[in-house]
Amino acid sequence: MKVYYYNRNYGDFMKVLMKPIEMIAWFTQDGLPTPVRFRMEQPNGSYIVIKVARTIARQEEKLAGNPMITFTCQSIVHGMERLYEIRYELKTCKWYVYKI
Amino acid sequence: MGTKNRIIFHIDVNSAYLSWEAAYRLQHGATLDLRTIPSAVGGDATTRHGIILAKSIPTKPYKIQTGESLYSARLKCPNLTVVPPRYHLYMQCSKALVSLLEEFSPSIQRFSIDEVFLDYSNMDIHWGDPIDAAHRIKDRIKEELGFTVNIGVSSNKLLAKMASDFEKPDRVHTLFPHEIQGKMWPLPVEELFMVGRATTSKLHKKGIFTIGQLAISDPELLTQWLKSHGRLIWQLANGLEDSPIREDYPVKGLGNSATLPFDAEDRETSHRALLSLTETVAMRLRDIRKFAGVLSISIKDRDFQSYSHQRKLEVPTHSTNILYGIACELFDELWQGQPLRHLGVRASQLHRDDLYQLSFFKGDIERQKALDTAVDKIRAQYGCDSVMRSSFLYSGLSPMMGGVIQEEEYPMMSSLL
Ligand SMILES: [Mg+2]
Repeated sequence: MKVYYYNRNYGDFMKVLMKPIEMIAWFTQDGLPTPVRFRMEQPNGSYIVIKVARTIARQEEKLAGNPMITFTCQSIVHGMERLYEIRYELKTCKWYVYKI
Repeated sequence: MGTKNRIIFHIDVNSAYLSWEAAYRLQHGATLDLRTIPSAVGGDATTRHGIILAKSIPTKPYKIQTGESLYSARLKCPNLTVVPPRYHLYMQCSKALVSLLEEFSPSIQRFSIDEVFLDYSNMDIHWGDPIDAAHRIKDRIKEELGFTVNIGVSSNKLLAKMASDFEKPDRVHTLFPHEIQGKMWPLPVEELFMVGRATTSKLHKKGIFTIGQLAISDPELLTQWLKSHGRLIWQLANGLEDSPIREDYPVKGLGNSATLPFDAEDRETSHRALLSLTETVAMRLRDIRKFAGVLSISIKDRDFQSYSHQRKLEVPTHSTNILYGIACELFDELWQGQPLRHLGVRASQLHRDDLYQLSFFKGDIERQKALDTAVDKIRAQYGCDSVMRSSFLYSGLSPMMGGVIQEEEYPMMSSLL
């Protein structure tokens, strides 16, 4: 597995995964979701729990008429600071790790 | 409305089913864009039968035709990527397109799942020059919804539609009356709206090969020869058409049919197949808010003999259960016991669903309606297979067969566009 250190210029370095995850999220009274903590299956079949330290950006889109929110987040993963993107699909209520 | 200052847009999605699938896949992390390789949307490849429903532009050199069998398409293009149809996705994309267009004009006509007319008359005070606005609309659709459209701009629906069919994809074209001679008359006559295959060969026999030749023919002779259709196509060739934007969905009938994965030999299996087909037809009826006035079914046996049977409904409906019951009755009257390979269900004589006759005999319409509405909502939210009838478990049949509804018979030309 490739490791990207301090992927500040993340757009170029992150890999598209679009992997479904289990999510604990916080929704405001206005219905605005924010990811809090999620569990993701790893290639070896074990699970990793990641606490979302910071949500840096939030972007809505509706490609193919299917609304999704993309969050750019930051966490400490395996002792390293990482940037990654998470997606929330409104119609199915599914969360994905989009790019990491 | 003064016809002089009308500005009509015709918005046509490029390779609609394929583009929509491609956009959906990209959104879900696909790295390959189906539009950039030879690809097609086709009937389920795991069953015995399937046809090409839409194809990407890179298939052009292989001369694959829409409606052609998957088998023959693969012979022409062995590396063709075929993806199955996804009816709900198409409805979702079509709705998103319409709601984006509604920002630009209150007068919109859905002509088909991927074609929309928009009346831009007098809208320039809000959105500026029509051609600039058409470009903005086109670019917003591409940017926000992830697929491309062609927009035809003119002073009536016919010319706008002809214009959107010029060079594709992702283009705006105009075809105003003064441009007819230069842009439309040189085209082959079969490219004129309403000129079908039969009319084309009649026209060819008289030496009429281009739209221009048709336009300068004597309308009286055409009328004598081809009756009212002759006059009509002469008018169209001259760009004469003034139908209004119809906000009502104009489809006259819709049907769904499928070749079964195995021959149905008994009544129960056939009934189950009819249920599967009826589910999709009824859902689509509810979606466009129409009741069926006539229901027909068709069957094809192992020897490819086809039979059909229809009934006018005492009470028009779009209830899955009621339509399914009638389909079964029709089937029992029609079927002679032979093994069947293909079944079809079709609804026609559609009426608006907000007016219905109360019948003492058919009872609980409201309850049926509530049930259907609930199921539709769940399916829209969680997908087609989120709710299914338990009779499909272990049956080998899909709970919603066919996949793509065939919508037919737009009103004829006098009222057609
Ligand atoms: Mg199209």
